[in-house]
Amino acid sequence: MRRLIPFILLTVCVALPAAEPARSAFVMRWNLDWNVAGGLPEKAMLLSLQGLANRKSPQFYVIHPPEYQWEITAPLYSFYERKHGVRFTELKTAKAALNQFSNAARGYVVWDPAVAATMNVAFTIAGLEDALVVTPALISTAESHGLKKIDDLRGRYDGKTDAEIYGDAARRYWARCNHDAFMLMGGHAGAVRMPGMADWGVRQRMFFSDLSANPKHAAELALAQKLLSQLNDGATVFGWHSYGKDTEEQWTTLLSGYGLKMEGLHNLPNLSFNCQFTFTPGFKFTNNHHTTPGEKLVAGPKVYLSFVQSDSIGIGVWTKPGRGKLPFAWQVTMNWTKFSPAALEYFHESATPNDYFIGGLSGPGYMYPNHIPAAKFPGLMKEARTLMAELDEQALEIMDNSAADGNVGNADLTKETVDRYYAAFPDVIGFINGYGPARTRDLRDTRPMISYDYYIDPRRPRSEVAADLNELIALNSKRPYFLLVHVRESNDVNSLVEVVKQLDGPVEVVPLDVFLKLAASRKTYTTRYQDPDDPKHFEGYRK
Amino acid sequence: MIRSFTMPRLYYLSVLMGLLLPLASFATSPMDGRWRLDTSRSSALDGWSQWDLVITTDGTRVNLQHDMQWRSTKHTATTTVDTRHSSKVANFFRVEQRHMALYPAKGGLTTVKAAWIDGDRTLRVEADTPIEISQGEENMRIYCEYRLLEGDRSLLLIELHSSRPQPLVYRFTKVTPEN
Repeated sequence: MRRLIPFILLTVCVALPAAEPARSAFVMRWNLDWNVAGGLPEKAMLLSLQGLANRKSPQFYVIHPPEYQWEITAPLYSFYERKHGVRFTELKTAKAALNQFSNAARGYVVWDPAVAATMNVAFTIAGLEDALVVTPALISTAESHGLKKIDDLRGRYDGKTDAEIYGDAARRYWARCNHDAFMLMGGHAGAVRMPGMADWGVRQRMFFSDLSANPKHAAELALAQKLLSQLNDGATVFGWHSYGKDTEEQWTTLLSGYGLKMEGLHNLPNLSFNCQFTFTPGFKFTNNHHTTPGEKLVAGPKVYLSFVQSDSIGIGVWTKPGRGKLPFAWQVTMNWTKFSPAALEYFHESATPNDYFIGGLSGPGYMYPNHIPAAKFPGLMKEARTLMAELDEQALEIMDNSAADGNVGNADLTKETVDRYYAAFPDVIGFINGYGPARTRDLRDTRPMISYDYYIDPRRPRSEVAADLNELIALNSKRPYFLLVHVRESNDVNSLVEVVKQLDGPVEVVPLDVFLKLAASRKTYTTRYQDPDDPKHFEGYRK
Repeated sequence: MIRSFTMPRLYYLSVLMGLLLPLASFATSPMDGRWRLDTSRSSALDGWSQWDLVITTDGTRVNLQHDMQWRSTKHTATTTVDTRHSSKVANFFRVEQRHMALYPAKGGLTTVKAAWIDGDRTLRVEADTPIEISQGEENMRIYCEYRLLEGDRSLLLIELHSSRPQPLVYRFTKVTPEN
C-alpha cells in the first residue's frame, strides 16, 4: 500500500484540471535581441521548449523588457505571484531551462536560418512531435541534453518558394494539426523575426506559416484559402501577417471571409502559460459604468469628446504615465477570457474609476464585418454577446479596414452590416466604428453608432494634435458636437491632458458610456453608411 | 527724320514686348520642376511619409501635381489653376491630414483663384472647398502661397485654413539630377 501512495498522488496530480494553477513555476528574463543572426535561434528553441513544458501545467513563463511591444509581462508576473500564489524560480540561461524542461521534448528538429520558412515548418513539427526547434549551431546543445534528431529540414527546401515549402508541409502535417486554430507566424520579417507566440502554437499543435494574403502572391494565397476553408467553425487565426509580404488589412479581410477570428500579435507571449489560469475565486468583472440602464441623458450646447484605445490593452497606453487622469475607454480583447484570463483580471484590478471597458473588435475576435458571411454573423455575434456579458461591457467597437490603406480607401460599414449589428446587439448602449477616422453613423432607438472623427498618432506633435482637434471643432459648428477620438497605442495620457487644455470652445471630456447616451439624445450627426462610390483600396477576395 | 522713323518702330517694339514678355515669363518658371518635402523642416505630415510636388506652367495655367506616398501606397493627384481667372475645380487636392474626418465633399466643386505675385516668385492660390464632416458639409477657405526662395533651390508652401488656428508650413527642396 505504501508503495502505491506515490502512484496515487501522481495520478491525482495528473488528473487535476488544467485550469488549476500551479504553485511553482519557472521564469526567464529575455532581452530584445531577436536578430536571426543573433538571439533568435536560441529564443526560437526556448519558445518551443516553453510550449512543450506548459503542455500539462503552467511551468515556464517569460518576462520581456519594458520596451517589448507587450509591456505587461512583468506586471502580470507579479500578479501571478500575488493573486495565484505562484512561486517562481528564475532560470538564468537557456542551458538551465533545458536542464529543467528537456524531458518535455522527445527530440529536436533542425531549421535552416538561410531558408526562413523552415522555422515555421519546424514549429509545426515541434507541436506534432514534441520537438525542440534548433538551428545547426544548437544541435549540440540539444544533444547534450539527451535529445535525438526527429527531423532535419536542411536541404529539403533549398531553392523552393514559400508556397512550395508550405504546400509540402501541408501535405505532410496539416491533417494532424489542430483545426480549431491556425498560427500565422509572420510579423517581423528579414533580419529580425519575433515569433513570441510560438509557444502557444506548439502547445496547441497548430500549423505554422506566414502565407501571404497578397493577391500578388497567388500561389501562397491559394494555399492559405484552402487551409482556412478546412478549419472548423469558430476557429481562430493566431499571430499576425508578415510585414514583408502583405498587409493587416489583407489578412483580416481574408479570414473574415471564412467567419474566422484573428488573435494577434505574432509576438504575444506566454499564452501557453496564461491559458491555464482561471479567474481568482470570487472575481467578477465589474465595469466602471457612469450611467445606469435606462437612464436618459440630454446633451447641452457643447463639444463632447471621448477617448478610446483599441490596440489591445496589453499594448501601450495602459502602462504609460497619467492613466486615470482622463476618462478613457479600453477595447478589451474579449477572447482573452479563454486564453489569458489572468491578464484581463489584472487590467480590471488595476483600473481607475476613469477606465471603462468596451467589447471588440467587431465581434468575438478581430474581424472585418463587411466580409463575414451572412450565415455566420449571428453565431459569431452571439459569442460576442456572451463574452461582453461576462466582461460587464455595454458598448461594442467595430472596425473594418478592408477597403482602407493609409489615406486611400475607406473604413466604413455597409448598411447591411449596420443592420446586422443592430439586430444582433439589442441591449448595447451603442456602437463605435473605425480605427482611423470613418464616416459610418446612425441612431436607432437609443443606440447610436458613432465613428471616430480623429485618430491620435503618437508621433504627431501635441501642438498639431490640438490644432487638428480645434479644426474639427471649428468645422463641426453645431452644438452639441460629438467628437470621438481613437488613441493609438503608445500615446500617454499625460500628453493628452495637455492637449485638452489647448482646445477651443465649450469642450467636455466624457466617458464613452456617457458620450453614447448623450449622442442618443440629440442627433447633430448625419446618418451615413459606406457609399458604393467611396474609394476602395481593396475590393476583397474571390473564393 | 530720325524721330519720325524711330517712334513707330519703338511703339511697335514696345507693344510686341508688352505681349511677349509676360508669355516669356510664363513659358518657363523657375518654380517648374519636382520639389521634395523636407519633413524635418516642415509641419508634421500626418499619414503620408513622402510628398513630391511637381509644378509645370503652361501659359497662365499652373499644374500642381502631388505625388504622395505612405509605405507602399502611392497616390498622385493634380490640381490645375489658372492665373487669368478663377475656376471651378472638381477634384481639388488638399493635403488631407490622414487622421481627421474631413473629406472632399462628394461631387463638390472648389472655387480656385490663383495669381503670380512678388515678381512672379510667389504663386498665390485661394480656394473655397466643400468638406464632408460628421455633421454634414462645410466650406473650408484655404489660402496658400508657394514662395520661391533665394537661389531657386527651395520652395516654401504656407497654407492657412479658415478653420485652423495655425498655418501649415511645408518646405521643399528642388529635385535635381545631382540629388
